[in-house]
Amino acid sequence: MSRRDIAFIISTLIAAAALAVVPTITTKESVINLLVLVYIYVMMASSWNIIGGIAGQVNLGHAAFFGLGSLVSRILWTKGWPLSISLILGALVPVAFALLIGAPSFKLRGVYFAIGTLAMAQILFITTRNLFPMISSLPTEALSTYSLAPRYYMALGMTLLTVLVVFWLSRSRWGLGMVAVREETSAAESLGVSALQHKLLALCLSALFAGLAGGVFAYYSAGYYLFFPFFPTWTFDAVMATYIGGTGTVIGPIIGAVFYVLVKEILALRFVELHPFIFGTLFILVVLFLPGGMIQIWSRLRRLLVRKSTLAPSAAKEEQVPETNMVHDRPAVE
Amino acid sequence: MKAHIKFSAIAAVVLVLSLLLANCAPATEAPAPTQPPTQAPTQAPTQAPTQAPTQAPAKPAPEAIEIGASIPLTGKYGSLGVQVKAGYELAVQTINAAGGVYVKEFDKKIPIRLTIYDDESDPTKAVSKLESLNTEQKVVAYLGGAASDMHAATVPIAEKNKVPYCGVSFALWKIHQQGYKYLFSPFPKSPTQAEDTFKILNASIPEGQRPTKVAIFQETTDWGIELGGLWKENAAKYGYEIVDYETYAPRSENFSDMILRAKAAGAEALLAVPNQPDGIAMVKQMSEIGWTPKFMLLIRAPENPAWSEALGPLGDFVTIFPGWHYKMKWPGVEELVKKHQEAYGRPPDVLVGPAYACVEVVADAIQRAGTLDRDAIRDAMAATDLPMSMIGPIKFREDGTGIVLNPMVQWQKGQIEVVWPPEHKSADLAYPATPFDQR
Repeated sequence: MSRRDIAFIISTLIAAAALAVVPTITTKESVINLLVLVYIYVMMASSWNIIGGIAGQVNLGHAAFFGLGSLVSRILWTKGWPLSISLILGALVPVAFALLIGAPSFKLRGVYFAIGTLAMAQILFITTRNLFPMISSLPTEALSTYSLAPRYYMALGMTLLTVLVVFWLSRSRWGLGMVAVREETSAAESLGVSALQHKLLALCLSALFAGLAGGVFAYYSAGYYLFFPFFPTWTFDAVMATYIGGTGTVIGPIIGAVFYVLVKEILALRFVELHPFIFGTLFILVVLFLPGGMIQIWSRLRRLLVRKSTLAPSAAKEEQVPETNMVHDRPAVE
Repeated sequence: MKAHIKFSAIAAVVLVLSLLLANCAPATEAPAPTQPPTQAPTQAPTQAPTQAPTQAPAKPAPEAIEIGASIPLTGKYGSLGVQVKAGYELAVQTINAAGGVYVKEFDKKIPIRLTIYDDESDPTKAVSKLESLNTEQKVVAYLGGAASDMHAATVPIAEKNKVPYCGVSFALWKIHQQGYKYLFSPFPKSPTQAEDTFKILNASIPEGQRPTKVAIFQETTDWGIELGGLWKENAAKYGYEIVDYETYAPRSENFSDMILRAKAAGAEALLAVPNQPDGIAMVKQMSEIGWTPKFMLLIRAPENPAWSEALGPLGDFVTIFPGWHYKMKWPGVEELVKKHQEAYGRPPDVLVGPAYACVEVVADAIQRAGTLDRDAIRDAMAATDLPMSMIGPIKFREDGTGIVLNPMVQWQKGQIEVVWPPEHKSADLAYPATPFDQR
């Protein structure tokens, strides 16, 4: 592990520790509730980023993994299974589903893969809607003791786990293999990198964390229709958050999810009638001026600083930072 | 390799810690137990008392009574949400124009401040908005949004926060069967709709001419299953026979098999709760196949002008249970129609009246409670006995369902007419339906 990696892990843990204090310093449930939503979106965006950003396979069926995780966790938990086992099984079932659909799906490439995964998710959504049309509500006894604090810690912990695993992946041989497959599949295969294995691993990891996010959602929600987490909006929200932040990076989906949830919420609270228009405009501006996502702001600022500094032109050139779509700011194979 | 081990160790610790914290974390806010009402109100006061109380108020009156609503103003339920919003706003305007609601605790009328948020038809966002209304605005009551899946997500939050909740635009009875204490809905529910279907037929059509052979096209949604089952359960009691019971998934495109089986079974009436695209497809295919039931009750699909625009004369003769209609003859409806016309350039839609009534229920409960304490308001809402509102008299059952009138309307010559109850009808029930090919 390099010094930079250790710094990243330590700063992430410090941030998590700071966030863990929030429920003890505020009694405002709206704040805690909003942060739980942020965490769920971070998990969704980061997990989509594994398959869509790092491995470069645009999966439009991410909601299926989230939905399956939520469905399994909720049913088991409400039937009296221990929460931890319900969550773990809720995360593993989407992985099994990913393995099942992975091999045939990866026969499709590019836009056909995207359409295929979208169709698969829609099939699952319609099937679930037909099989489970009833509401899943917590009984009133459970509601009387319902507290956001344990949901908050659960969501925070799972988000931290997701971010750390994505970080580990980005520094690992497997992650590098995924990037190679994304950049040029034929070249990667000619060097002995199995495209199918790497894509499958990416899909399974993506499904695992989306399923875990689904479990957190199932534990957090007081009442919802079991088919609701299969709605395609869960996929599109994750994709948008990832693109807003920056695909293929560790930090990008986190920034994107935070921006996506918080800005949307603030706008919705302040501008009841106009908020979709304002957020849409903001989104267009981000796409136009920061095509690599908001993570580009940092690299642009650094470049600006370098330009303004008194460094020699050669030094400035050395300081240039790559803008888009990089998992690593330096190659890291351990 | 060492790095991998370190990462695995960190990940494992995080996983175990978060599971432990989730299981062990104490509740941040222990909910206060609901206090029983000190005195059950016996009658709804309609006017603020004219005499000042003998005792001076204990604390200063707030600037406004905070009430909040999370409504789907955009997204798939946007068309319902805007109706509900209009009803809430018009009612608050009317109440505030008269000075607000009299609150005995402060011995004065206090205006209502209604905060409305758009939840984009997303139940998760609706939950977030309700939490905001609770902690930021400290609302004394919630007004509901629209559509049963939105209510399914938000009602438990009201229960958790112990904030009284008044919601319309959902007929699903099951939500009321969860034991919720803070939910009230002055809107007809499935059991009423199921029984009224046959009661109205028997009252409107002479024996011998009634469509006694019934087909049910049941949508595989919670409401579809609930109402389909209740129709089936009630039919025989009122002299009807279910000759065909079909099920279909929402957004199906082909209903021809079902229609052919219903036709072959000799069904004379069709009962269903389709969404609008399904309802339109159903009627078009019935017309193509040449099966015209003498009576059709398609709740939900034909509730707005798009029905008539899409189907023209084919859309006539279809009946609906809308909950309310602006042609009803309750006092105050004319005034509401005028205000709605001025504000929106058209008569009020079907959800405007029930939404308006919801605000009336909350205002009446606050006045009778004489305080802004949520539990007292909740208890007063449970004891509601409004002799008149925008939708007529309102009482609540123990499960929070409203004892309210359930009018039936029918499309006739491209217009919606009230056909039941007799004292409100703008036209007689058009029966039997003219065959599709002769319209």
